Amino acid sequence: MFIKDILSISPQDTYNNHNYWYNVKTYIGNKLSCIEPSYDGIIKPSQLRRMGKALRMGIGCGLPLLDKHGKVDGIIIGTSEGGLEDCIKFLNQIVDYDEGTLTPTNFMQSTPNALSGHLALITGNTNYNITHVNKGLSFENALIDAQMLLQDGSANVLLVGSVEEISDYNYNIEQSANQYKKVECRSNELIHSNTEGTVCGEGAVMFVLSSQPENGSICIKDVDAITFPEESELLDLCKNMLRRNGIVTNDIDGVIVGLNGDIRTDHWYTNFISSLFSDQTIYTYKNLVGEYPTSASFAVKLAHDILKNNMICPEIIFKNSNRAQKNILIYNHFKGVQHSLILISDINSSNESL
Amino acid sequence: MEVFITGMGCVTPIGNNKHENLTSLTESKSGLKKPAIFQSKYASDFIFGEVDMDNTALLSLVDINGLTGLTRTDLLALMAFDEAINDAGLSREEVSSNKTAFISASTVGGMCLTNQLYDDSNLKSNTTEFLESYSGSAHAQQICKKYRIKGLVNVINTACSSSANAIAYGTRLIKAGRATRAVVGGVDSLSKYTVNGFNSLQILSNDKCTPFDENRKGLNLGEAAGYLVLEAANVVAKKNCYAKVAGYGNSNDAFHPSSMSDHAKGITIAINKALEAANISSADIDYINAHGTGTQNNDLIELTGFKTIFETIPPFSSTKSYIGHTLGAAGAVEAIYSVFSLIEGDFYPNLNFNTPIGDLNVLPITEVVHKKNVRYVMSNSYGFSGNCTSLIFEKA
Repeated sequence: MFIKDILSISPQDTYNNHNYWYNVKTYIGNKLSCIEPSYDGIIKPSQLRRMGKALRMGIGCGLPLLDKHGKVDGIIIGTSEGGLEDCIKFLNQIVDYDEGTLTPTNFMQSTPNALSGHLALITGNTNYNITHVNKGLSFENALIDAQMLLQDGSANVLLVGSVEEISDYNYNIEQSANQYKKVECRSNELIHSNTEGTVCGEGAVMFVLSSQPENGSICIKDVDAITFPEESELLDLCKNMLRRNGIVTNDIDGVIVGLNGDIRTDHWYTNFISSLFSDQTIYTYKNLVGEYPTSASFAVKLAHDILKNNMICPEIIFKNSNRAQKNILIYNHFKGVQHSLILISDINSSNESL
Repeated sequence: MEVFITGMGCVTPIGNNKHENLTSLTESKSGLKKPAIFQSKYASDFIFGEVDMDNTALLSLVDINGLTGLTRTDLLALMAFDEAINDAGLSREEVSSNKTAFISASTVGGMCLTNQLYDDSNLKSNTTEFLESYSGSAHAQQICKKYRIKGLVNVINTACSSSANAIAYGTRLIKAGRATRAVVGGVDSLSKYTVNGFNSLQILSNDKCTPFDENRKGLNLGEAAGYLVLEAANVVAKKNCYAKVAGYGNSNDAFHPSSMSDHAKGITIAINKALEAANISSADIDYINAHGTGTQNNDLIELTGFKTIFETIPPFSSTKSYIGHTLGAAGAVEAIYSVFSLIEGDFYPNLNFNTPIGDLNVLPITEVVHKKNVRYVMSNSYGFSGNCTSLIFEKA
């Protein structure tokens, strides 16, 4: 399937800005919060005031794409938690007011499918509509869903995306679970921080995906995932994916890995690279956007920008090579439990199909 | 590639396993009552569908195998999952094969631990056992850990149609060749979160729900888990197959976050898509296991949809009159009940029905209807945010 368009809100200045990599922002501390646009002309001020961050970021990215590309054949969202802030606000009211009379706004916005529903409602789109919520594999399942629909001909163009927000509550829970760093870290030193824990990020990325290539289209060729693997099972997953796409490891020019500076789980990435991809260019991205369950969507955007716009900034280079970039593999895991691989190709550089 | 249902497992307010559920349905036995286990200020105000075992009883029945941080949601899911794979005769190797997918659904997840979550999210607690337990996907990760599941895993949340979409997604993975087997379904347990949420929308009934009745007062929340084993035709061999997944249709009503459009747009599109996928006409449907929540809006609009699609509306009923609305589990449990109807040739009556709605003159069945040669049964699921899904099961 081919990437027709992308819009993203992230801790970098990515919204409607193709030059964000000339000015990569550095963050200090454990939270990398999004640089949000004004939403003027996208969301009515009266609605915006009531909207949680996840919902407004998702609509802020999704709606302009839906307006621009006309009626899509489906809206597919991946989000681990959806509007978590609203959810816990509602839960807090339940406990604080001893289950008193509550208003439904927080409840309705807290359901993870609120975003896909809102996008359908606003654009009057009655086509396929779904929300995948399997934590660190939510976005990957959204892609697999899209690929099946585009391949079997039940759709030609789809809106596919992800959203995640930092809320105080999930930050507290994850911090209690030792997910984040105990010592202050600068994001530009995250990858080599050599301490336990990572930093918390958030973001929304929306893609218009098509079954048909256009001039300069970037192709998402394959997606696969595994839960609680042994290292050998991960390598097998990768080899099988390359095999069924008719390529070998040497055909991969660059690997985007999810290194997040947590010494407890980064060995997955370094072992993966040294086992299979020792002379490829290796990129990182969590030093730009932090760790969150659907961060792989930002990696797909990055792969697209590298392949299509030749975006290379020193901040994302973990290890350089002289290879021209045609095929990029993304390897990400969430907490060492859920692992995924996404294969992305520049179709102008090779004879590729769907 | 045809996709067959070869195993089923469920735990609901009318039975702790598949067999008990079938018996209760056959005897028109409802599980709706004031809850004995669920703790909430509203427990005595409303009627619920509660699974008849507290967590200690559930723990004694589930082999937890070293798992920690288990919630009621997890325990219900583990129980139904185990029954389904055993029912299908899957070996542990088959369950953990990388060609076996696991697609689940939940809307409440670990939020059934409302007070614990409050403490943890507001840093008022020292305990860490449940820190990884709150997500909608937490139960799936527990199952992955216990059964060493290595195939594709997903969890879907489209509110009350979640597990109907899990069934469709698993079926599509098999048809696309991404899996040869899939365990599909969903789970939800009673929680203060949903009780207060639905109460804030003023759609909970203080009596047993009366789907499709003129004087319906709202829904009863229920809890349940249901899982089905789907297998590709080429691996089924000589296995006993309960049914085929013949069609599925998904649409968004695109009208309102919590109510359905007057013309039943999403409902009719989803049904038509399912009929088209099954390559049959509306006249081929023998019975409909309706969504039928018992709310003013749903039941009226669902019947409006039926009148649009069917020249003669086939026998239909809502089995929510037995177990309440089990949210993320509803699509899976009602799929299992639909398969019972296919196998047994029995359509289970809509309980508590007295008066037809307005001048629609459309009545659900109120007695057990037995029909020979039942071929196609439809199951409907509709959720907040406009998510509509219809499934069609065919006799194997």
